[in-house]
Amino acid sequence: MKMKIDMQLVLEDVPGSLLRALGPISSHGGNILSVLHSRSGGGRVWVMVTFQIADQESLNLIKNEMGKTRVQVSEMSVEGKQYYSKKTLSFILVGHVIDSDVRDTINRINEVGLVSDIEVVMPSPEEKSSVMMNVEVDNGRLEGLISLVKRVCKEKDLLLISSIE
Amino acid sequence: MKTTRIAIIGFGVIGRGFAEVLLRKKKYLRELGVDLRVVAICEVDGSLVNEGGINLEEALKGGSGKKRDWTPLKAVDVIKKHKPDIVLELTPGNIKNGEPGLGHIITALSNGINVVTSNKAPLALQFYELMNLARKNNVVLGFEATVGGAMPVINLYQSTLRINRIRSIYGILNGTSNFVLSKMEEEAISLDDAVKEAQELGIAESNPGYDIDGIDTAAKVTILANSLMNKRVSFKDIKIKGIREITPKAIELARKHGYSIKLIGDIKNLEVSPRLVVKGDPLDVSGSLNAIMLDTDIAGEITIVGRGAGAIETASSLLSDVLEIAR
Repeated sequence: MKMKIDMQLVLEDVPGSLLRALGPISSHGGNILSVLHSRSGGGRVWVMVTFQIADQESLNLIKNEMGKTRVQVSEMSVEGKQYYSKKTLSFILVGHVIDSDVRDTINRINEVGLVSDIEVVMPSPEEKSSVMMNVEVDNGRLEGLISLVKRVCKEKDLLLISSIE
Repeated sequence: MKTTRIAIIGFGVIGRGFAEVLLRKKKYLRELGVDLRVVAICEVDGSLVNEGGINLEEALKGGSGKKRDWTPLKAVDVIKKHKPDIVLELTPGNIKNGEPGLGHIITALSNGINVVTSNKAPLALQFYELMNLARKNNVVLGFEATVGGAMPVINLYQSTLRINRIRSIYGILNGTSNFVLSKMEEEAISLDDAVKEAQELGIAESNPGYDIDGIDTAAKVTILANSLMNKRVSFKDIKIKGIREITPKAIELARKHGYSIKLIGDIKNLEVSPRLVVKGDPLDVSGSLNAIMLDTDIAGEITIVGRGAGAIETASSLLSDVLEIAR
């Protein structure tokens, strides 16, 4: 008997992203029942896709392939039961972000979540840089991630401008 | 018709705005069966007292300077001697000690006199002490005008939404900092240039620190945390980060990713800091507008947007509290 999956995806608001996101479902034998999408602002689109799949192994293959193509699965339910739920925390760091060892900053954040997107604006080596990061995190670990980022910013004298959660 | 005797303490921009609105709404108030009689106007250098009612048109024409019929009586003496029904405490706030407003409010409440105020500092420093004093003396302390100017957030919650539990409150509570950040975004200019423009337009003070360093917002966060979320906190409990370090590059980067940077008061977490607000979000208001978003367990999300400052706008909230007492 096939399993019913509800999956919430967070996609970049660019042409072709929906098609790329749904590709893995079809290629692993999923039967798409419905697709709902809405723009949430912040350059992203939220998509709720419901599909049927033969077994857990096919579902794992779909998730892995989505991960490789940077499709974020923020929530997933199997047969109506929540499987997991993820959030994305976006923030900008202002200060000497690069000189204060940005690799260390990312590594420490990755211990709690996963830095999925990063953009650096560095006008000149002397001036303060601005770094935008999107971090994926399990819903239950969001508070922990926020505390960690605050701690790192205090330690490295960076200004944190985080999104409202 | 019931007469309510009012003493206005502080006849600066806000006090004069209140007097103007009283004159403007004279007919409406009469139809309502309310006679609001200003029996005293107190300034730092003296007071004007007339038990028969001060001619507000004359008082407005005369400015707040010394005149022939002014007495050297201090505000606390006027409160004790003349015992008005309502003291309207409108002096400028000093966040270090709350004075002179704190003394005026304590004197009025202790003497069984209702108080209506737009002065944030006394409430940000001693919210529970003052509310308890009012309760003990069976009088009202109205403070709608301390947060968000004309926006009726406190009374809205206490009258219409009281059954709701509030999960979170986020607010843009300072018009000056919002104006500065909006200008930086719209015109790609530095913070210093945006502050200068705000000063030229009379939106920012000559020393804008109170606004852009987040102090004003933090005072309002304290009042909202106590009045709407029962947090039992004082001003010193608020973590404050202003907008001085915001660069045009950071604003540009935020915009590219679909966000605006706003100085946000996070009431649940007792924090003031610059935050990313999604473009098009109800909190994404520009210029000197204020916005407050309440997330409640039954009514869901409610956002109020309005003018957070201005003499006439603030008078709307003051008058609403005054009428509540007078009726």
